[in-house]
Amino acid sequence: MAKKQSSLLLKRQQSLAIKLLLPTFIVLGLVAIYPLGDVFVTSFTDREFAGGEDNTTDFVGFQNYFSLLGFTFKELPPVLNDDGTQKIDEKTGEPVYERAIRVLPRDPYRYRELSQFNWFGKRIVVGARNPDFLKAIWNTLVFTVLSVFLETLLGLFIALVVNSNFKAKGALRTTMLVPWAVITVVSARIWEWMLQPGNIGFFNMLLFRLGLGDGQASFLTSAALQMPSMVMVDVWKTTPYMALLILAGLQTIPKELYEAANVDGAHKVRQFFSITFPLLRPALAVALIFRTLDALRVFDVFQVLLGSKMYSMASYNYFQLIQNRQMGLASAIGVIIFIFIAVFAVIYMRLMGVDKE
Amino acid sequence: MTRKKTKQLISKILFYILIVVIFFYLLFPFYWALNSSLKSEAQLSQTPATFIPRDANGKISIFWNNYASIFANATFVRSIFNSIIVAGSTTLVSLLIGSFSAFALGKLYFKGKKVTLYLILSMTMFPQVTVLSGLYAVITTLNLAAVPSMILTYMIFTLPFTTWVLTTFFKQLPNEIMQSAQVDGATPFQTFWMILLPLTAPALVTTGLLAFIAAWNEYLFALTFTSIEPTARTIPVAISMFSGTIARQEPFGEIMAAAVMVTIPVVLLVLIFQRKIVAGLTAGAVKG
Repeated sequence: MAKKQSSLLLKRQQSLAIKLLLPTFIVLGLVAIYPLGDVFVTSFTDREFAGGEDNTTDFVGFQNYFSLLGFTFKELPPVLNDDGTQKIDEKTGEPVYERAIRVLPRDPYRYRELSQFNWFGKRIVVGARNPDFLKAIWNTLVFTVLSVFLETLLGLFIALVVNSNFKAKGALRTTMLVPWAVITVVSARIWEWMLQPGNIGFFNMLLFRLGLGDGQASFLTSAALQMPSMVMVDVWKTTPYMALLILAGLQTIPKELYEAANVDGAHKVRQFFSITFPLLRPALAVALIFRTLDALRVFDVFQVLLGSKMYSMASYNYFQLIQNRQMGLASAIGVIIFIFIAVFAVIYMRLMGVDKE
Repeated sequence: MTRKKTKQLISKILFYILIVVIFFYLLFPFYWALNSSLKSEAQLSQTPATFIPRDANGKISIFWNNYASIFANATFVRSIFNSIIVAGSTTLVSLLIGSFSAFALGKLYFKGKKVTLYLILSMTMFPQVTVLSGLYAVITTLNLAAVPSMILTYMIFTLPFTTWVLTTFFKQLPNEIMQSAQVDGATPFQTFWMILLPLTAPALVTTGLLAFIAAWNEYLFALTFTSIEPTARTIPVAISMFSGTIARQEPFGEIMAAAVMVTIPVVLLVLIFQRKIVAGLTAGAVKG
């Protein structure tokens, strides 16, 4: 009798649970699961956005993926003088090679130059069917590695400082929330203004005053400065978040451990590497995962500060979808980003042993 | 003895310098925006840039007009309303249906609970940009206007988050509360709605605040879905496209004024609720 009643109770709980979960599942199905399936399917078609009636969508297999990721290596033959030796550029003193455009295949698909490198005395050119996208992947990876690395270092440093005892500790912890709370687009525009070329920009003014530059550095248009600028903007905005996560981890470490270490005479550096760091690992791992997955899908700062000057994977996706109206291609980009993020998530969890718990 | 003392003093001074440097780093960009927002066009193009608004003679001179012009700018003012509506509705809806699921996941017994939990957790890491083109297709099929589109699509990042965090809060509530309510004849839903939900009010505030800030910040979806409906632009989109009342170079004085105006309310909110926010931000991280 009691058993029967409890199983009835369980059944009622089960049906209530399903009813309560239903709205969440409907919403997530509509905005996440269904679109994800749609993106996978569309990525194998040549669908275009808002095409006319006559515009039919065809299944194209992996064509979108090939056109995004296709690349080739070709050797560049040296340009020879009349006497058979290699021509040397008079201005730069560099040996001259055939122009890449003559070597790279055009049929059935055109490959454009991505980069060149020397390999065992030979000059190799990398051709890509879509150099913009391959560059976007490269940019995103470089951005992710640099920004996450710097944010972790700086975040760890700030967290260690805040974790020690001093006046204004609370004020500092509160202040840490300010960059985090500023809208990313707003922070990007503030930095855009600080990075202006000429002495009207803060950084140029500063460098000029310190005697480190002519005050004319164009941070956002010169190819060498774009990536460091992006990293700098992102590090300012997200270091506090990293620091807060690490700080939470630090606060779970029992104080007694340090007291014992002090009694044993272990100095601070030793304490950091034998107590703090090992015990901090889980918190650090979670913070790293969050930030890496975030950095891989970076959009706001790239879109606002660089637009079409330099793409991240996400801003290239946006460009193909909205400007070029290429739904099929944009979907394939979406799938590629998804795979990147999934791979990174799995690698991280394995490395850090998060899934052991 | 005295040597030891001086050494301690020096390290203490160095430590405080370090703290000042950190404060400076965290706040300087915001100070620079404030400083620039109080400069006229002429002061902004003055070189070298000054740390306080000054006129050509080096006297302090503050220019308030940038603030007057952003509030006379209909697009900007409308974007504030749009942002409040979008972020507010997103938050309320995700709290409501998120707390339903969280109660089911935290306090009820049913088959497939573990799978559901993992599904929701994995969704908190979902890359939104991946589904951008698919969402665009859903929105056009449903023929939704930009504002409801944003409210609906923002759920992709607010709903898994609110559900996940609230689930952990519901789990912490003692089971005895539920049992005694049931003994008194309350149905499980009544127990949830009238007893447990009020008890989770602090958690609702925290998660709601974080969801609100996430929605307030969102740019990619807003940019995409308002591309054909400029009147629905939210603050991030409006600020990214900010153009002056008269066509000219980018009006950075006004942009900085707008930046200051939209940042102050959020910063105040954050300062008031800072303990809760820190707890909410780190809740997921410490537990792993």
